[in-house]
Amino acid sequence: MTTTEIPRFVRADGPDKVTGSGRYTADLTLTGMLAAKFKYSGISHGRITRLDVTAAREMAGVLAVLTDADVPDVHYDPQIKDRTLFARDIVRFEGEIVAAVAALTPEIAEAAVAAIIVEYEELTPILDPEAAMDKSSPLVHEDWESYEAGSWLVRSGNTASFSSLERGDVDAGLAEADQIISSRYVADGSHAAPIEPRAVVAQWEGNKVTIWTSTQVPFDARAGVCETLQLPTNRVRVIVPHLGGGFGGKCGFHFEAHVAALARTAGRPVRLVFSREEEFTIPDRRREGIVVELTTGVRKDGSITARKANVVIDCGAYIADTAFFPQLAAMHAVGPYLVPNLMVESQIVYTNHQPSGSVRAPTAPQVCWALESHIDEVAKAINMDPVKFRLKNAVDTGMVGPLGQTYEEIGLRRCIQQATEAAGYGQELPENEAIGVAIGWWPSFASASGSYVKLDDDGAGQIITGAQECGTGAVMTLRQLAADELGMKPEDFEIIYQDTATGPYDMGATGSQTLLNNGRAVVEASQQIAEQLRELAADRLEAAPADIVLADGKAQVAGSPESAVPLSKLAAIAGSGKLLLGHGSGSPPVAPPIVGANCVGDQGMASWVGPQFSCHAVRLRLDPETGVTRVISVHADHDSGTIINPMGAHGQVEGAIIMGIGQALTEGTRYDETGKQMNTSLLEYKLQTAADSPSIHTQFVEVFTENAGPHGAKGLAEAPNIATAAAVANGLAKLIGSPMRQLPMTAERVWDTISEGGS
Amino acid sequence: MTTHLLVATTLDEALAAMANGARPIAGGTDLVVGARVGKAPLPTELVAIDRLDELDIVGMVPGGSDDPTPLLFVGAMVSHATIMNHPLLAASYSGLADASALVGSPSTRNVGTIGGNVMNASPAMDTGAPLLAMGAMAVLQSVSGSRTVPLAELWTGPGTTSAGPDELCVAILIPRRMGEEGSAYVRLEYRRAMEIAVVGAGAAVTLNDDGTVAKAAVALTAVGPTILALTGLEELLIGTPLDDLSLSAVAMLASEQASPISDLRASDKYRRHTVGVMAKRALEAAGRRAAGETIAIPVNRAEGIGAARNAAAQNGAAK
Repeated sequence: MTTTEIPRFVRADGPDKVTGSGRYTADLTLTGMLAAKFKYSGISHGRITRLDVTAAREMAGVLAVLTDADVPDVHYDPQIKDRTLFARDIVRFEGEIVAAVAALTPEIAEAAVAAIIVEYEELTPILDPEAAMDKSSPLVHEDWESYEAGSWLVRSGNTASFSSLERGDVDAGLAEADQIISSRYVADGSHAAPIEPRAVVAQWEGNKVTIWTSTQVPFDARAGVCETLQLPTNRVRVIVPHLGGGFGGKCGFHFEAHVAALARTAGRPVRLVFSREEEFTIPDRRREGIVVELTTGVRKDGSITARKANVVIDCGAYIADTAFFPQLAAMHAVGPYLVPNLMVESQIVYTNHQPSGSVRAPTAPQVCWALESHIDEVAKAINMDPVKFRLKNAVDTGMVGPLGQTYEEIGLRRCIQQATEAAGYGQELPENEAIGVAIGWWPSFASASGSYVKLDDDGAGQIITGAQECGTGAVMTLRQLAADELGMKPEDFEIIYQDTATGPYDMGATGSQTLLNNGRAVVEASQQIAEQLRELAADRLEAAPADIVLADGKAQVAGSPESAVPLSKLAAIAGSGKLLLGHGSGSPPVAPPIVGANCVGDQGMASWVGPQFSCHAVRLRLDPETGVTRVISVHADHDSGTIINPMGAHGQVEGAIIMGIGQALTEGTRYDETGKQMNTSLLEYKLQTAADSPSIHTQFVEVFTENAGPHGAKGLAEAPNIATAAAVANGLAKLIGSPMRQLPMTAERVWDTISEGGS
Repeated sequence: MTTHLLVATTLDEALAAMANGARPIAGGTDLVVGARVGKAPLPTELVAIDRLDELDIVGMVPGGSDDPTPLLFVGAMVSHATIMNHPLLAASYSGLADASALVGSPSTRNVGTIGGNVMNASPAMDTGAPLLAMGAMAVLQSVSGSRTVPLAELWTGPGTTSAGPDELCVAILIPRRMGEEGSAYVRLEYRRAMEIAVVGAGAAVTLNDDGTVAKAAVALTAVGPTILALTGLEELLIGTPLDDLSLSAVAMLASEQASPISDLRASDKYRRHTVGVMAKRALEAAGRRAAGETIAIPVNRAEGIGAARNAAAQNGAAK
């Protein structure tokens, strides 16, 4: 579909956000509200030898000062319980919260934080994840064995979670190869960098607390509060006002419990608003740094005989939600290729860096960058065009994938063909220009999810959902699904959302899952109402319910449109009788079994529901005298199943590609020698701007998938963020003559590579 | 924190406030942003000069008794947006227009002023190098009088100037560009908006009728404590054409004279190399402008890696 054919999509939250009438968490003001500030460790590794909050507590205007001694003795984190709300004994990264203050003004709170006395015995920071795997390495968590953890996790010392993928005989496979190519790639950490730094407001009424927070996952945030403050779910209400972006960085439970605890102690509402520097350094949601080592055996004819890989992921100080990252990263070290023999070992390793966590397609852009750079090296080694190599080895409909999943109809090869053709791949280009191509894959995440739909007596609709809108438009698209089922217009529905007290459970704006799972729920709830409307209409129109069609705001008899009744009339009848209420949840689709592969530390990431595929062809220009790279255009082809909302879908791809270009060229966390971040402002952490955006040409290869979301939709929010950096790398490698080994591929790194003798 | 803000309606009022210790504020793009990130707290006393229309003027003024050359007067309150769009500046003082067009974002350029940029004295300021290459001066005024200071003598270090605390920069004066003069400013940037110069170079060139160099000046951005004027250019360039050989020699000269630091934006080694590239490119563009060629403002967006994507898209990919 070309741009001109995209139907108009009017977001229900758009006017609020564009005109400024919408309210974000930091905009909220409650009577008597206090300001919160945290005391951070400020060092990467140390033992607390003295903590004295007396002076802070005695300051005028300070109403609460809390430390570990003031909250329940609870360890949390979803997969390994390795963390407490406040530092206990040891601090493990620079942003560890040692104490929290609530005071009349932010200035008083800041002065109180400064008055807190903390002394440390400084410990040597553990900063290199590869070195930290060594048995002789000091431990980030001395007590790791005592932590409660999922029984499926394979843990050892600093290695928080290990996974392997094994199929066939990798040594025999390498022995069959004509050429064996080995490469090592290192990706720096980076950040989600949402435009809204996070904010939390908490207010108690009796023994119940309401928390307004900038989270992508209100139900997870509620669960974290309940776990750490030991409250039942029905006494904690989490509301998300408009969310100013997340990109994964606002997944998980963060500071809601700290603020709720402050509010309870102070007996007043409390508001926390992060500065940009705090947004960079404190949350446990940095995009992980990764070291990827790859070895591929290949025959002269271009067939892959074996893949060996080792992936080391920088966990940072706490596990957050990352225990499944090794297996997911291992899948990306295999890629959507036919690989008969493979052995991938993958681990996430504790260090004294800021904790990593799910940022848009966790592990994928980095490992895809490494693998796809390596694939171009492999193709070059046998003198085969890299696109031809991909077409030869890519998985396709009906094939058994590298881990033994058999694919229904998929569109990967069409993505490769279409994207490269549209980009003009193979044509002669001006000097210092090249087209790089990369492919990627990504699962759709099935999850429990619920929604209510109701029509009131005037026929106006409401969707009451647990789903969270983080800017993707996925929740906004729910209106379209309900409207389609009921023969109404999307604008006929209001959405009540982002409130754990009104909506049923949903996993949140995470894992590209909103439309996939909540969409199914909304369709199911709407179908219940449709059923009721057909029965009501059948009575009035003297027809069978099965013959009633809902369209254009009316119920009509199929084939005789003159025999119709407006839905508003039916709603009025229902309003004094059996109300028009639907509720949906539905059973999540189940991933197909894996056959013939062995997965140690398996966390269900080796077989995918609704697998998504993509190919990006990036045309770029290099300034060889400075190493500055400019992306001119991106042709992106995606199989994300049926596209429900084309305008929303195009927006997702465009945003993800710009984010991918940032990861490729300018974004990257810089640490000093003690493990503290240095580029914690938007001037020094260089996001791409609108002025940098290339022309982006998106095409969707729409393949119907039974085992997926509503009408065959797969996820989409993360997949377009995967292949861009890899495609940029392959374009650069063509111009430089050798691959870039470090991500981001900054101008200076490119210039260094050119100076070191790339041709 | 600021406790007093005087919104001056006349220059005398502003100067009187400064004599009593107030600091001036115009666009606030350095002062306010700096305070918000904790660089320096806002001064206790501020005097807003943004309503002084007499400082928002661009025009020619007669030269002094010792040098009768007319001067371009750019009032301190003239915004970057005005400079980049001003026909006279774009045509005859192109280097300054190149620089203003690169500052921050459209909103920064709308409120940010030349006076603020010059007096903030950042070694990474964009307007500094072209102004220095063009021999510009600052007019400093206080209740006790007015003086004109060459920019080379104004900047004393990062963020420091030789201006007294009671002196307000009211204008920048630039000697009128005579004959076949051209100027340009080029910077190394990692992105195309909200960016600060990694390094940069401004150049001003006058050509002889035969196309050889009659006069040339180059100044460098972000490779020293202040904007740095390149010395020894005359020996290299006077009487020679601007060709690959002479431009490479200037690049080497610039790399030699630079004294860059390593920081988050670049290593000293990379800065030393790239400032040479920028010097060469600025001089080349200034020379072409001196020869009568029109290069769109700013050079960074008109040429090479920065050229508009539409031009690139038209010659192939987006068909």
